[in-house]
Amino acid sequence: MALTGRAGLLALLGVLVVGTVLPSWTGVLGVGALVVLCVLIDLALAGGVRGLELSRSGAVKVRLGESVGVELTVRNPGPRWVRGVLRDAWSPSAGVVSDRFSVDVPAGASRKISVALQPVRRGDRRAYRVTVRSLGPLGVAARQGAHDVPWTVRALPPFHSRKHLPPLLDRLRELDGRRAALVRGQGTEFDSLREYVIGDDVRSIDWRATARSSDVMVRTWRPERDRHVLIVLDTARTAAGRVAGELGGLPRLDTALDSALLLSALALHAGDRVDLIAYSHVVRASVPRADLPSLVSAMAPLEAELVEFDARGMVAEVLRRSRQRSLVVLLTGLDSAALEEGLVPVLPALTSRHRLLVASVTDPAVTAMARGRGDAEAVFGAAAAERTLSERRHAKALLTRHGVEVVDAEPDALPPALADRYLTLKAAGKL
Amino acid sequence: MSAPTSPDARRIWAAAKGPVLVGLVILVSSIILVLVSSPSEGGSLDPRSVTQPGSRALAKLLEGQGVTVEYTETAPSSVDGATLLVTRPDLIDPARLSPLIASARDAVLVQPQRWLPDGIGVADRARVDDLPPGCVLAARFGRATMGGATYAAADGESCYESSLVHKGNVIVLGTGAPMTNDKLDEVGNAALMMTLLGRNDRLVWWVPAVADPGREQSVFDLLPDGWKFGGVQLVVAVALFALWRARRLGPVVTERLPVVVRAAETVEGRARLYRRTRATGHAAATLRRAALDRMTPALGLPHDAPPAAVATEVAARGSRSADQVLSLLYGPQPADDRALVRLADELDVLENEVCGG
Repeated sequence: MALTGRAGLLALLGVLVVGTVLPSWTGVLGVGALVVLCVLIDLALAGGVRGLELSRSGAVKVRLGESVGVELTVRNPGPRWVRGVLRDAWSPSAGVVSDRFSVDVPAGASRKISVALQPVRRGDRRAYRVTVRSLGPLGVAARQGAHDVPWTVRALPPFHSRKHLPPLLDRLRELDGRRAALVRGQGTEFDSLREYVIGDDVRSIDWRATARSSDVMVRTWRPERDRHVLIVLDTARTAAGRVAGELGGLPRLDTALDSALLLSALALHAGDRVDLIAYSHVVRASVPRADLPSLVSAMAPLEAELVEFDARGMVAEVLRRSRQRSLVVLLTGLDSAALEEGLVPVLPALTSRHRLLVASVTDPAVTAMARGRGDAEAVFGAAAAERTLSERRHAKALLTRHGVEVVDAEPDALPPALADRYLTLKAAGKL
Repeated sequence: MSAPTSPDARRIWAAAKGPVLVGLVILVSSIILVLVSSPSEGGSLDPRSVTQPGSRALAKLLEGQGVTVEYTETAPSSVDGATLLVTRPDLIDPARLSPLIASARDAVLVQPQRWLPDGIGVADRARVDDLPPGCVLAARFGRATMGGATYAAADGESCYESSLVHKGNVIVLGTGAPMTNDKLDEVGNAALMMTLLGRNDRLVWWVPAVADPGREQSVFDLLPDGWKFGGVQLVVAVALFALWRARRLGPVVTERLPVVVRAAETVEGRARLYRRTRATGHAAATLRRAALDRMTPALGLPHDAPPAAVATEVAARGSRSADQVLSLLYGPQPADDRALVRLADELDVLENEVCGG
């Protein structure tokens, strides 16, 4: 049950009665009895909350930053009118615009309420519980009860870098030979023979075929297809680091997700097979033979964990999963000490079977610190930053020596840089 | 689709367990404190008190002389044939004090202001000091620590410069100083007080409590009933308003937030460590190394080029001589913070000349 302000007002009016007419305990008790009576009447006549039937429908997915609606249906099978207030409680980061609604459901009827959500954080945002306060006819007291009406809205990664996709696809088409400029490169596959048209590279004329036919024939080439790209996301402690950037900075993991999405979109367009693993010390998520929606959905609930990245376990997992030679894209941090102890000892096992591409986010704040001058504090900061940067360079050089491709860029630049590197590798036939 | 969720007994207990336990701990500890702590030491002129302003010594002496000392904080029921000592008579309603004094065989009042025997009035205040008796009654006790209030007596006997007045069965003392544990053994105090209080077999020692019931009407008694019960009703109304505001539409929803730390924090921490340990040498070496790493590719030299070769190349492109470059890039460590800042600036200039030019 719950009281309303009217119960207090009634008692407040009682002050006048008691003070002027009945200044005695009888008066106090009399007013009290009146209030209690009103409360009892209201409780007896208010529509039951326990019997309400609530159900949900509507959106289950939303891209982070966008708004979405979830419908809540309140059916009243009871004999009395239910009138009052309803609170649809969601976890705070579900970004419910307003969780209070007035309800007015006649007996036997049902009403729909639309709850607008704008999640502020990636992942599964859950409805917590629906509380209904059903007022009595006098409006002095109300019945109150709660219902669990489970519902989950999955806030998907925003995929900001999709704006980079069109130019990348253009480059891919150029590679693919669908554009006029036919690029012939080492490692590309022979596609077909066709008649020469003006503008074709004369070097691609196939003289033997020309001799056999009446026309000049050229060979066409296309880039390799049906390659295997395995994206490995590091969700261990370094992924939790928030890196300065737009929107006040995002964790490294979010930039990694964005990069992985752009790369997957491109690779899927190019006809390659994409697998995804999220790994910390165990496999956190795994999407074999992914398409974009399943990738986005699998990435949504990923969060960084405060554990050390288990490079040995990751390599074993990768080797177990892909027998075919693949491009393994590892999105991780370039932490010199952790790399030397973790990844480098197990690198040969990986690089002998697959091509490894390591992508990492640089923190613009550190680069800015390295330029600090003017007073002792700034210069000491610059020295510390230079130290960090040189460790990064060292780690990069170490990986490159082991035949690993390294992409190291600031948060905004990493997704296109990684996709670029993929296209370069593809054009060179190194997949 | 939906399931009602109302708290059952177990969940209520789980929620209330903490506050209930805290309440129990407070209750038990306060009971223990009350039980363990000794009874109060008592105030001034308290016959049980052994502090300096107390009067336990005098009470013991009187008991040694065969006088029964009855301690009371409230009005004694009967004082017939006894000596009545009132340590703070001003705390008692004069109307209640009069019959008791009348029925006592002797009465001793300490510094009374409100109730005085007829013909005696408050005169002045005097310093508490050793005073000569100055009257027949007290002549045999000699000097005593008296003073305090002085009284103007129209009749009766006045001693110690009017700070002790005797009239009928009442003796008025201007101060309780001669009775205290502190002063009892000085001059003639013990003899004076033993005589004044030991005249009867029974001594009623009344130390009136401040909150003596029935002393005065409380403010609440003086209010008209309408206000009083109106106030009670107001309390009820406020309680109802509080209940209205306190009832929430379900509890606050909590959620687990992911761990997010600023990635540059370790770098900043290292900078502060450099600063605190005044590692100017280390910082300078790092800055020089970084500048070299950026300049050597522009000069077309390997990273581990010998200093002399680097200095010659840099001097060829910049405005400095080879020696200056050598001391800037490979020279001694800066001695203090200011030298370090200067070094950083000069390295910047050099780098600009080499890479930008």
